[in-house]
Amino acid sequence: MSQDKQCYHCGESVPASVDLTTEINNQPQPMCCIGCQAVSQAIMDAGLKNYYKFRTEPGTKQSELVPDELNSFSAYDLDEVQQEFVHSDDTDIQTVSLSIDGITCAACAWLIEHKLKPLRGLQKAMVNSTTQRALISWDKNQLKLSDILQQISAIGYVAAPYQVDEQEAKAKRSSKQFLLRLGLAGFSTMQVMMFALALYTGYFTDLDTEFRDYFRWVSMIFAAPVALYSAQPFYFSAVRSLLSGRINMDVPVSIAIGGAFIASCFATYHGVGEVYFESVSMFTFFLLLGRYFEQKAKQKASVSSSNLHKLIPLTATLINDKEHIEVAAKQLKVDDVILVKPGEVVAADGIIVEGVSSFNESMLTGEHLPLTKGCEQQVFAGTINVEQPVQVKVNAIGSEQFVSEIIRLQEFASNNRPAIALIVDKLSRYFSAAVLTLSLITYLVWHFFISPEDAFWVTLSVLVATCPCALALATPTAVTCATAMFTKLGIITRKSGVFETLPKIKHVVFDKTGTLTYGRLQIHSVMIHDNSVSKESVLNHIAALEQGSEHPIAKAFRDHLELKRFPVTDVEHHVGKGISGFINGNHYFVGKAVSANGKASTQQMISLLRDDDLIAEVTLSDEIREDAQSSIKQLKQHKLYLSIASGDQSGHVHAVASSLGINDVRAGLTPSDKLSFVKDLQSANEKVAMFGDGINDAPVLSGADLSIAMGSGTAIAKNSADLILLGDKLSRFVDAIDVASKTTRLIKQNLMWALGYNLIVLPLAMSGNIAPYVAAIGMSASSLIVVSNSLRLLKDAK
Amino acid sequence: MSIIYVLIPIAMIFVAIAVAVFFWAVKSEQFDDLDRQGSSILFEDDESESANTKADKSNDRL
Repeated sequence: MSQDKQCYHCGESVPASVDLTTEINNQPQPMCCIGCQAVSQAIMDAGLKNYYKFRTEPGTKQSELVPDELNSFSAYDLDEVQQEFVHSDDTDIQTVSLSIDGITCAACAWLIEHKLKPLRGLQKAMVNSTTQRALISWDKNQLKLSDILQQISAIGYVAAPYQVDEQEAKAKRSSKQFLLRLGLAGFSTMQVMMFALALYTGYFTDLDTEFRDYFRWVSMIFAAPVALYSAQPFYFSAVRSLLSGRINMDVPVSIAIGGAFIASCFATYHGVGEVYFESVSMFTFFLLLGRYFEQKAKQKASVSSSNLHKLIPLTATLINDKEHIEVAAKQLKVDDVILVKPGEVVAADGIIVEGVSSFNESMLTGEHLPLTKGCEQQVFAGTINVEQPVQVKVNAIGSEQFVSEIIRLQEFASNNRPAIALIVDKLSRYFSAAVLTLSLITYLVWHFFISPEDAFWVTLSVLVATCPCALALATPTAVTCATAMFTKLGIITRKSGVFETLPKIKHVVFDKTGTLTYGRLQIHSVMIHDNSVSKESVLNHIAALEQGSEHPIAKAFRDHLELKRFPVTDVEHHVGKGISGFINGNHYFVGKAVSANGKASTQQMISLLRDDDLIAEVTLSDEIREDAQSSIKQLKQHKLYLSIASGDQSGHVHAVASSLGINDVRAGLTPSDKLSFVKDLQSANEKVAMFGDGINDAPVLSGADLSIAMGSGTAIAKNSADLILLGDKLSRFVDAIDVASKTTRLIKQNLMWALGYNLIVLPLAMSGNIAPYVAAIGMSASSLIVVSNSLRLLKDAK
Repeated sequence: MSIIYVLIPIAMIFVAIAVAVFFWAVKSEQFDDLDRQGSSILFEDDESESANTKADKSNDRL
């Protein structure tokens, strides 16, 4: 491997044996593989060189062989397949949503749009680089969907149609509406504040009643849309909570907004009393702002964990009286026999009736080594067939399938997590009830004992002054800022409770594969038993034999591929054993064979045989993450107790643990063992964080107090985790702990301040000693202090 | 002072226009992908000078 040359397209280092270039802007640029070269050539041929000029991230590596299924896009032209996700209006225009893998920055979106533009019959192509999705409409008489997909794949992206699920569509609609409400409140607040300033200054100098009333009317016109439209979510939430017999923060918020607005309108109309239009607008604006960011963060996290149902392919090859027909996967019935070719994704759960092959189940289990399966064995939808074609008899479809079951379990688990004690929630409930009771008491006391005509105004000033906005803003603003910080650090938060849990974590449990290690094999050592060969030629031989294989072992040798000197013929795949073939007249076999010393290896070991003589053995190991060492050290400095709980039975777990300095190692655990391990720790009153990936970790991930998945982990793991580390940097977790402890501290400060302010102002307001404008200023000031205190979190950004 | 009876309604009209523009922008999904919209100006500009041949096809679309 040479460090000096980097692929111009994907940024990875170019293997020494590869000499490929593409002419970009009149200059030959190095390419690391045929895939990258083809893609960059296609981009240049289409006249889209701006992509390279403006992109901010390198492209994705193209060398991974595209499964056959993705190359034959014709399946997507089938009507049965299309009816699921293509929408057509009365004319011949059809619309589809595509989810596109490989988009790294805005330039990619531009590239795809412009690649598609010249197509005849294309109506609209809109690519969203944040959600990695595209909306495309075309004229079905002039263009086929498969052509569009082909064009996208030519420039190196993998596009697949998907159905926008109802929940997502709803979330998108509501987030748009939220933005409208927020924007409107913002515009109005600016205007109303301007007039409020005029009115307040008029307090100290003297303002003609004529102008005062005019300003009030204008303020009312501006504040009306805010109170009537923007604040609607609070009203609905308040009504909902009242109907369910509880009181939440939105109840006093709604009463304050509604009450203050109505009273101000009344005052404006009659020309008496006080107006609170600016308070109403600003209060609504700030609250909406907090909630908008909260919602946005949640939505982003759910989009980035991708559509799980995408795991199952849309089409399947049905075997019908010795005839192969392509059908929509949805149409399969139990007892149908389908053909699964190598590289294809299994379309339905079933039992193998013919053939033997290896199946990559990493999307379900997180284990990267394929499992060999033969007749009578169960295969699952969503797993990839690695080696040989097999025939599968379907035994579960639709929601009965394992993947669907898992998705359901995940959703159930994420909705039913043990509620992390949200102090604020409880606090606000008592607070709201208290404010309402006290206002009522104030009203009654003033009405019957002091002066009935002042009763309404005093009650209102109680509501305004004690308006729980500082309290309501205390947590959301801090959480919003912390979420923003997390995003900056490359961490996605999926639950707001993590900020409370993180600083309390005492014990961190790692699942080895994919978290501490990369989950990909690399060559560890080569043992040579025949002195006539060199290490390099052994690796070249193996690489040549393994070149056509998609097995993870084969990938470890890709860098040593030198086809010119090692042409292979008569390649034969022995499922679960290895590969054999002829190189320069000799018969070679690579794979599992008897070890030289007859001992069982603790690591992955494969042997190379020439004419049945053992000539070399290669040990492979899972590479430890670059930053694992330093992160572990940092975690130890934080006085965290670390352990590894792995399902792996080999000695590799111990090897990884000892090289990282983790003493507590448990290998060969079943998922339920892992869960009971975590439960044991928790019963000793320790908060446990769990790093994991894959389905096998699902129970333990939901059982732990906090679960973390790596960005490269399986979609299912990401969907069940509380935190996702993008960019796979373990060290980010340490930063996350720091940010979270700062966040909890700020929330506490905010709450203390808000409560303290309210406790002081309440008796004053109840006794009628607070002038209305002082009440409004105090309320605004207390919220501003809370907001700016929370903003301190962002200041420390590196 | 009575000029404000004229000026304020004019200001209100401007605000109404601003709100209308904002609503249009939100509805036409301009806030969906802020990365993309932020850099799109770079691409479009450059394209007109380098790829005039394709301009006839692209000028009627987004």
